[in-house]
Amino acid sequence: MSSNRTRRTHATLVALAAGALVLTACSSGAGTNTEGGNDRSGAEAQRSQIAFGDAAASKGAAEEVPGAQKGGTIKVYQRDTFSHLDPAQIYVSDEGALATLLFRKLTTYHMDNKGKYTVVGDLATDSGQSSDGGKTWKYTLKDNVKWEDGSPITAKDIRHSIERTFAPFITDGPYYLQQWLADTNSTDYRKLLKDGPYKGKHLPDSVLETPDDKTIIFHFKSPHPDLPYALAMAGYAAVQEKKDTKEKYDKAPQSSGPYKIKPGSFKSGKGMTLVRNTEWDPKTDNSRHQYVDKFDIQFGVSYPDSTQRLIADNADNQTAISFSNQVDAASMQTVANDPKVKKRSTSGYQPYVGVINFNMKRIKDKKVREALAYAMPTQAVLDAYGTPGGGELAGSYISPTVTGYKDIDPYGKLKKPLGDIEKAKKLLKEAGKTGMKITFAYMNAPEPQKYSVSIVDNLKKAGFDVQPKDLPSDTYYDVIGKVDNKFDIYASAWGADWPSASTVLPPTMDGRQVQDGSPNYSHYNNPEVSKEMDRIAKMPDQEKASEEWFKLNEKILKEDLPAIPTFYYKQIQLHGSKVGGVVNNDIISGVDPTKLFLKK
Amino acid sequence: MLRFLFRRSLGAIVILLLISAFTFFLFFAAPRDPALLSCGKNCTPDAIALIHKNLGLDKPIPVQYWDFMSGIVTGRDFAQGPCPAPCFGYSFANGDPVWDTIVDRFPTTISLTIGGAAVFLTVGLSTGMIAAWKQGKLVDKVFSSASLVLSSMQIYFIGPIVLALLVYNLEILGQPKYVNFTDNPAAWFMGLLIPWCVLSVIFTAQYTRMARSSMIEQLAEEHVRTARAKGMSRRTVFFRYAWRGSLIPIVTIFGIDLGSLFGGAMITEQTFALPGLGTLAVQSVQNTDLPMVMGVMLFAATFIVLFNIIVDAAYAFIDPRVRLS
Amino acid sequence: MTTLTKTEGAPVPTGSDPFLSVRDLYVRFSTEDGIVKAVDGLSFDLLKGQTLGIVGESGSGKSVTNLAVLGLHNPASTEITGEITLDGQELTGARERTLQKLRGNKMAMIFQDPLTALSPYYTVGRQIAEPFMKHTGANKREGRQRAIEMLTKVGIPQPGLRVDDYPHQFSGGMRQRAMIAMALVCNPALLIADEPTTALDVTVQAQILDLLKDLQQEFGSAIILITHDLGVVANMADELLVMYAGRAVERGTVKDILTSPQHPYAWGLLGSMPRLSASVDEPLHPIPGTPPSLLNPPTGCPFHPRCAFTSEVGGTRCADERPLLAPGRASACHLTAEQKHTFFTEQIKPRLG
Repeated sequence: MSSNRTRRTHATLVALAAGALVLTACSSGAGTNTEGGNDRSGAEAQRSQIAFGDAAASKGAAEEVPGAQKGGTIKVYQRDTFSHLDPAQIYVSDEGALATLLFRKLTTYHMDNKGKYTVVGDLATDSGQSSDGGKTWKYTLKDNVKWEDGSPITAKDIRHSIERTFAPFITDGPYYLQQWLADTNSTDYRKLLKDGPYKGKHLPDSVLETPDDKTIIFHFKSPHPDLPYALAMAGYAAVQEKKDTKEKYDKAPQSSGPYKIKPGSFKSGKGMTLVRNTEWDPKTDNSRHQYVDKFDIQFGVSYPDSTQRLIADNADNQTAISFSNQVDAASMQTVANDPKVKKRSTSGYQPYVGVINFNMKRIKDKKVREALAYAMPTQAVLDAYGTPGGGELAGSYISPTVTGYKDIDPYGKLKKPLGDIEKAKKLLKEAGKTGMKITFAYMNAPEPQKYSVSIVDNLKKAGFDVQPKDLPSDTYYDVIGKVDNKFDIYASAWGADWPSASTVLPPTMDGRQVQDGSPNYSHYNNPEVSKEMDRIAKMPDQEKASEEWFKLNEKILKEDLPAIPTFYYKQIQLHGSKVGGVVNNDIISGVDPTKLFLKK
Repeated sequence: MLRFLFRRSLGAIVILLLISAFTFFLFFAAPRDPALLSCGKNCTPDAIALIHKNLGLDKPIPVQYWDFMSGIVTGRDFAQGPCPAPCFGYSFANGDPVWDTIVDRFPTTISLTIGGAAVFLTVGLSTGMIAAWKQGKLVDKVFSSASLVLSSMQIYFIGPIVLALLVYNLEILGQPKYVNFTDNPAAWFMGLLIPWCVLSVIFTAQYTRMARSSMIEQLAEEHVRTARAKGMSRRTVFFRYAWRGSLIPIVTIFGIDLGSLFGGAMITEQTFALPGLGTLAVQSVQNTDLPMVMGVMLFAATFIVLFNIIVDAAYAFIDPRVRLS
Repeated sequence: MTTLTKTEGAPVPTGSDPFLSVRDLYVRFSTEDGIVKAVDGLSFDLLKGQTLGIVGESGSGKSVTNLAVLGLHNPASTEITGEITLDGQELTGARERTLQKLRGNKMAMIFQDPLTALSPYYTVGRQIAEPFMKHTGANKREGRQRAIEMLTKVGIPQPGLRVDDYPHQFSGGMRQRAMIAMALVCNPALLIADEPTTALDVTVQAQILDLLKDLQQEFGSAIILITHDLGVVANMADELLVMYAGRAVERGTVKDILTSPQHPYAWGLLGSMPRLSASVDEPLHPIPGTPPSLLNPPTGCPFHPRCAFTSEVGGTRCADERPLLAPGRASACHLTAEQKHTFFTEQIKPRLG
C-alpha cells in the first residue's frame, strides 16, 4: 500500500509543478489533456525551488520508503544495451538511471518521500561550500565511503576522476566542468591536460586542489554557481584510480553505490545482473537504498514489447519494471483507459521542450513570426507523440523540470492549441505579407510526418504560401543547424542538462553561439540578451538566478519570438504489480531505481 | 569431390572479399557519420575529429579497409587491448569486441534456426506430401488453402498475437527467452518453443506448397510411371521414386533459407527480444557501427556461401548424374 | 447422329480364345477445357504369342489405350468404360492391388524414351531387379543375379559390371535394352512396346527390333507394338490396327493392310512414309490438315475434314454419319469396297511407287 502513497505524493508533485493547464485546456475545450490525474491539476503554477542542501540534508541513511521490504530480484526490461559503463562516458538517461545504482558522485539529487528535490552531498558532506563569489568551491568527503573492493574513496580518486575526463578517449560524457576548469567555451579544454592523468601530468593546484585525503577544492577563473548541479551528473562520478583500466574501464567499472555489476554478467544485446555491493554503507548515503538483492536487466526489449509484458502482468512480469522504456504511443490509450493498468503506471516530465524555430536570418518581421506562432497547431504536434502521456502543451522555452519553473503563455497556445487562424491572418495582413512564401522543413520520421500536415494546413488558412520540405532524419539537425540554411521554420527540441535554465537559454538563445551545428537553430542574436545571460550565469544565489532566467525567458518569447514552444516531453512507464516504491524522478526522466523494492 | 570443394572454397573467398569491399565502401558512401552517435549534444567539429581519431576513421578509407581485412587474418592492436585473429575490431557503439559479440550471439541464432527448421521441415514436408498423396481430395484442399493463407502472414503480426494468447492471457507458456542449451536443455526448449513455431509458420506454409507441387511434378515424370508399370506399390512409387526427385528443389531452397537464417532471423529475434545475430545486425546498422556491420555481414555471408556449397554437394548425394559427371 | 454412339464391330473370330481382349473401350479425361475423348469405343483382340501393331498419328489414342490396359491412368481425372480382359481376368474396375500384381509380372511395358523412362536415381540393376523381387519374392542377391542374367540376354557387354551403372552412363541403345530387360524380367505374357525405337538411331532400331523378336520367341509373349512407323510393323507384327481419333479405322493382317489398304487415312499414312526405292526428287505426300481435336471431334467420320474422297461418297454423309468398322478384315469408311479398291490401285498405289 505504500506504493499507493508514494504514487499519490508523486501526483501532487506533478500538480505542484504545473497547475494552470487543466483550467486552460478545459476552457479551450479542445485538449486531450483534460483527462487523468497526471496532468497539471493544482492551483500552483510555480515549481518549488531545488535547494542546495547542507551537511544535515546530506547525512545518511536515506529516509525509508514506506512499506519497503528487503529481498528479491527485480527484472528490468531495457530497449537498448547500455553503451557505456564508464561513468565519464555517460550522458544519456538510460545509463543515467543505471548510474544511480552503481556510482556515487560528489553531489547528487535527493528526492524525499514527498517528491521534493534537493541537491545534497553524496560522497561529499554537503552540496559544496563556495566562496569568492562562486569561483572557489570546497568539498569534503564523508567518512566510510568505500569502493566495492573495500578500499576507501579518497580525494585522490576524485581528482583522478576529474583529470581523466580530459583524456582523449573520453568523448561521450559532459564537459561543463572541464571547460570551467580550463576557462574556455570550446573543446580546446583538453589542452589543459592533454593526455589526462595517464602520463604523469596533473591539474595544477591552482585549478584543482586536494590538500588531504578528504578535501577537494575547485578554483575557477569566473563564478560557476551551478557547480553542485554539474557535479551531480553521472559523468562526474568517482572512478577508482587504482582500478582505472582506461578504455577497458568501460566494460568493468568499479562500483561505489549500493549495487555492483556481477562480474562477467554484462553481455551487450543480452543483459546484465546487478548484485548488492556489500561495501556500500547505507549510513553514508542519504538518497539510495538497497532493498532488492538483484536487478536482472534484459536488453533488446522494445517499447511495444515491454509495454505488452507489463500490461499482461503475468508470472515474471509482476516483478518487472523498466528504467527507461516508455509506454509505446500506440498503447497509451489502453493504459489510460484500463484502470488496473493505469494504477501501475508512472509518468513524469522529460527535460525536453519541443519548439518550432523561426529562422531569424530569413523572417525578420516580428509580426510575421507572431502570425506563425498564433497559427501553429501545437495540439497536433503533441498528438503525434501519443496522447495521453506523450507530453503536455508548452507555453515556455523552459521545461517544468527546471528549478523555479513558471507557467507563461503569452501567445495563448494553451488556450487555443489548435491555432488561432483569425489572429494570424490579421497579423499577417497588418504586416502586409499576406501570401508570403514560407519554407517549412520537417524530419522524415513518423511523428513529424503526422503533424506537418496540420501545420501546413493551418499556415495556408492563415494566408501563407507554405512550401513543405521533408529532410532525412539522419542529417536533419545538421541541415537545420547550418547558419545559411534555406528554410524558414522547422522543429527542434532541447533538454536541460540539469534543472537550471542556464543549460537551456545560453545554448539555444545566445547569439554568440550562432555557427554551423550550434543548437541555436533560430540563429537568434540579440546582444542585449546575450549580455543578460552572462550576468545571470554569474549570480551566486540560485533562487535569484532562476527568477532572472525565467524573466529573460519570457522577455525573449514576448519581445523577439525566435521560436514558439510546442510541448513539454513526458514519458509514461509501467511496472509489475509486485514492484513497490515506484516513483518518477524528473532528474533522470524516469523511474527512480534507488527506491524500488519487491512486495511480498 | 575434394577438387570440387577446393574450387568452390576459393570461389567463396572471392565472393566474401567482394561483399566485404562492397559493404565497407558503401558504408562510407552513406551520409551518416558514426562519430555523431557518440558526440552527444553540442557536437563541435573538434569533438568529431577526436572521435574519428579514436575510431581510426581519420585514415584514408582504403587504408582502413586494408587494416580491417588484414586484421581478420593477423589480428590487430587496439587501445582496448590486443585483438587476436580473427579480429573484426571493436564496436563503435559500445566498444565490445566484434568477434566475441558474434560468437556470443550465435548460439541464440543457431538454436532458433535449427529448431525452427526442424519444425518447418517436418511439418511442411509431411503436410506437402500428404496433400500430394491425396491430391484433389479434401485434405489436399484444406492443406493447400491453409498454406496459402499462412504464407501471406507476417511474423510481426502473428508473433504478438501468439504471445498475447499463450503467454499473457492463457499463461500456458512462459515468456520466450534464450537459455543456453548446455545450462538447461528443458528451459532452452521451452523458451524457444513459441519463436520456433512462429518463425516456422510462414516457412511451413511455403514448404507445404513446395513439397506438394514438387511431388506432383515428380509423380508425372515418365520414370515414375515406369515404376508403376513395373507393379511397384503406390507407397514405393511415392516414397522411393517420386520423393527422391522432389528433394532437389526443396534442398536448394532449404539451403538458401538455412544459410540466411544462420545470419540472423531478424524479425523473429526482434519480435521475441531474442539476442541473436539478426537483432545485432539491425542494431549495428542503426548505430552506424561499421566493425559490427562488417563482422555480422561477413559472418552471415559466409554461411550463405557455405550452404550454397553444401547444397551443391547434396545434389551429388541425391542425383547420381551430378555425382558421376 | 445416332450412329455416333454405336461401337465398332468385333474383330474376326479366330477360333481360339484371345489372350487379351478389349471391348468398347472408352477413355475420357476431364480437363479444364472439357472432356477429352482419348479413346472412343475401341475393340481388338490379341492371341498368345502374336504381335499386334497399332499405328496412327500422335493423339490417335494408341498410347492411351495401352496405358488403360495397364491401368496407369489417374483414376481421379480419367473415366474408363468397356471391358479389358487379360487371360480371362477382367482388368477394368479391378482393384489397384490386383493390377499391381499383374503389372511387370503378367503384363509389362516398354516406353518410348528410355532416358526419361528410367529413374536417374537408381542403378540399372536395381531397377531391373525390383519387379522381380516384388513379384517372385526373391531376395536382393537373387534379384541382382537375375538382373545380370537379363542384361546378358539383352546383349549388354560386361553385365556384371554394368549392372551397377546408372542409366545416364548407358548409351541410348543400351538404355532401351535395359528397359526391355526390365520389362521381361518376370517373363510377362503380354508386352506392350510403346514406340520402342523412336528415340533411337536407325542402326540401333533394327538391333532392338531383332532383340524383341528373338525374345518373343524365347518367352512366347504376346506383344502390342505401338508405332507410327509402318516400316517397323512390317517386320514385326502379325495383325495391324490403324487408329484415328480414338477409334480403329482399319483392321487386318499386316500384309493385307500394307499391300491393299482400304481406308483413306491408311493411304495417307503409307503416302507420307519415305521409301528407299523412291527417287530423291519425288515428293512425299503428307496427310493434309491437322489431327482432330479430341475435345470437339468432328461429326460423322472424324477423318472427313482431311479426306479427299468425301465427294465420292456423296452428299454430306461423311460429315453426318459415322462409318462403322465391320468385323474381321475391315475399314471404317463410307466408300464402297469397290471404290476403295479402285481408288487405291488407280490413284494411290502409283504414287507409292
